[in-house]
Amino acid sequence: MKNRILLSGNEAIAEGALQAGARFAAAYPGTPSTEILETLSRRGGIRAEWAPNEKVAYEAAYGASLGGARALVAMKHVGVNVAADPLFSSSYSGVNGGLVLVSADDPAMHSSQNEQDNRQLARAAKIPVLEPSDSQEAKDFTVQAFDVSERFDTPVMLRVTTRICHSMSPVEAIRNATWPEAPLRRYDRDFRKYVLLPANARPRHAFVEARMLELGEFACGERRLNRIEWADRTIGVITGGVAYQYVKEALPGASVLKLGMPWPLPHRLVREFADGVDELYVVEELDPFIETEVRALGIPAVGKEIFPVTGELTPDIVSQGFGISGNGAEAPRDRQLPAAAVPPRPPVLCAGCGHRGVFFTLAKMGLIVTGDIGCYTLGALHPLESMDACLCMGASVGMAHGMEAALRSDGDERRVVGVIGDSTFMHSGIIGLINTVYNGGSSTILVLDNGTTAMTGHQDHPGTGVTAGGEASRRVDIAAVCRAVGVDRVREVDPYDMAALEAALEDELAAGEPSVIICRAVCRLVDRTPIAPSVRLEIECPGCGTCFELGCPAIDDIDGVAVVDPEVCCGCGLCVQVCPFCGLRIEGREPVEAT
Amino acid sequence: MSRAAPDTRSILLAGVGGHGVLALSRIVSEGALAAGFDVRKSEIHGMSQRGGSVVSEVRYGSTVHSPLIPAGSADLLLSLELLEALRHLHRLRPDGQLLVSDQRITPAPSGAGPVSYPDDALARLLAAYPRALVLPAHEIAAGLGEPRAANMVMLGAFAARTPEIPQGIWEDTLEAAFRSDLVPVNLAAFRTGLERAGHA
Repeated sequence: MKNRILLSGNEAIAEGALQAGARFAAAYPGTPSTEILETLSRRGGIRAEWAPNEKVAYEAAYGASLGGARALVAMKHVGVNVAADPLFSSSYSGVNGGLVLVSADDPAMHSSQNEQDNRQLARAAKIPVLEPSDSQEAKDFTVQAFDVSERFDTPVMLRVTTRICHSMSPVEAIRNATWPEAPLRRYDRDFRKYVLLPANARPRHAFVEARMLELGEFACGERRLNRIEWADRTIGVITGGVAYQYVKEALPGASVLKLGMPWPLPHRLVREFADGVDELYVVEELDPFIETEVRALGIPAVGKEIFPVTGELTPDIVSQGFGISGNGAEAPRDRQLPAAAVPPRPPVLCAGCGHRGVFFTLAKMGLIVTGDIGCYTLGALHPLESMDACLCMGASVGMAHGMEAALRSDGDERRVVGVIGDSTFMHSGIIGLINTVYNGGSSTILVLDNGTTAMTGHQDHPGTGVTAGGEASRRVDIAAVCRAVGVDRVREVDPYDMAALEAALEDELAAGEPSVIICRAVCRLVDRTPIAPSVRLEIECPGCGTCFELGCPAIDDIDGVAVVDPEVCCGCGLCVQVCPFCGLRIEGREPVEAT
Repeated sequence: MSRAAPDTRSILLAGVGGHGVLALSRIVSEGALAAGFDVRKSEIHGMSQRGGSVVSEVRYGSTVHSPLIPAGSADLLLSLELLEALRHLHRLRPDGQLLVSDQRITPAPSGAGPVSYPDDALARLLAAYPRALVLPAHEIAAGLGEPRAANMVMLGAFAARTPEIPQGIWEDTLEAAFRSDLVPVNLAAFRTGLERAGHA
């Protein structure tokens, strides 16, 4: 018997993959996509793997598809950039077992560096896009995506957004249901399809163009994906994704063309709908993707004139775009309270975080710091403010090399260090390091090794020696990798010993050859056991404010005077090292002379 | 007509990273589903464990579309911290219900000048919503031996103000949500909150 269970969009996608009989899944963690692979791993009945990066994840999933298995690969929107190379070419070579790429876009950039609209990437790669509007559809469309993939010999993009991934809604399903794996499709060697030599790729391109035309026809007739909800015909709205939900609340009486498969655009269905309404609107998040295609058909439509291209939509933005005061449920605007002026509450590095002392030291030394993606990006914020650039996964290493080359070319002696986390190093820092060695660079790279992929919620990676399923694996040793690619100067420094770190940085920056300093401290959210008894204030604090510069959440600034919260402090001792009055002490330890 | 039905209840849950706002909103959502409602819940992950503001939105009723609550239309705001209640107060209907824990957590400085905790936070909340229910949830939970159960104290207060969801559903949902050894203290926290709200 079916019943309704509450699932997030990500959990529902995982459920759909299991129902479709997928045998293989791969991913690199990235908000808002991470819980898809976590759920698959927890549920079992499928081989679910963390890959070191999205390109490898895609390639592994593609290989599983070649081998005849249904395979799913999940990543955040910017991850698809990393995987773009195999993605674009696999569009030509097609699939054997169904292959579904989940692209989790992040409109509003809740936890991302850009808000690219990956429907554009799917269009460029010439693959179809399915886009669910809630958890039920997230599950159903995932199942259907595998069918479409196999029927049309194409990878399929399931495009979701943060509000789908991280919203929960009821799904008709049985909790922890088990499903049989889809039968393995026989693999037979097919030189002309799978070996993309130019002579083979040319006819495959023609195949791709014909495939997209067929998919456009399919999209017109597939009412489980694309459907017209006729109502008042004075206003017609084309929409999809979470925007559909906002339209249904803002304009409950309007006719709607709901596109669960926006690409390729179902031309006949769009014309039928446009012909049936007086005024046509397109409501979609981010780029005018559907709107541009509708207009290319010569059909006038209103879209981005009244809805923003930036950020995510909300029920209010959709209502206001249509010039209506709201959905009727809300209070009139003049009766609403204004937003109170209250101090912001930004996220901070945790008390005892191993990154804090590193950034304090970098700031103290006045170094130029190329940064990377992770918790440690918080080192760019007040009060540490010691990161000059943060671009994308792994970029710190290449940027440090190029920046140093540029500065030295004109005799600018300012010193540059790259800062990268352990998981990010595995993702794409390694290749940057090879570049530095090969091209005779002399960068110093700090690897902040907290033994986990912290920012996304503590996933394992090759450096932890534990698989997605929690099984022991061969641990990839970061120091050994650095040495193996030709870095002779590799050392480990305790990130809680700032004097030692400063001395190491001085040494390595003066060395004139590539160097790596590994700062190892397990993430405080993984190992919460206190490092030492909590810090005590031994003197009446004169309020110099030096320790506030650490930005530690265990130290409260009470009218300019430091007060240590023993519930939060875990005795990392950084404040003891910076207090110029030696007033901060750890039980059983000698006071540290401030440097 | 598919607009959110007039019976839709919009609940805003707020707190600080580490408070268990997301665990609380999950239980609220599961409870509403068990009571037969359509449910939508939304939240933002990523910064939730790192001391930042955390907010989750739950909507339930016969038919709900949007997971996000339209401006100024929350029926109930539950906050595990005073400043966070103040931050989201403008999203509560003028006749909405305010349930708040009296805990104060000073925010980390953001570079926009020194942070001083608004001493009048509680007074401002009460001025706008004189019938607000203010509970020492953190103290109550600490008294039970588990300060982190403050969210379940507030769940009890919420349950007391939510007659449309039968009492028994909450205890069942709570029991299913926690590891078995953590159930007793969380259940005790829930019952204390329920009792305190009932007498308030």
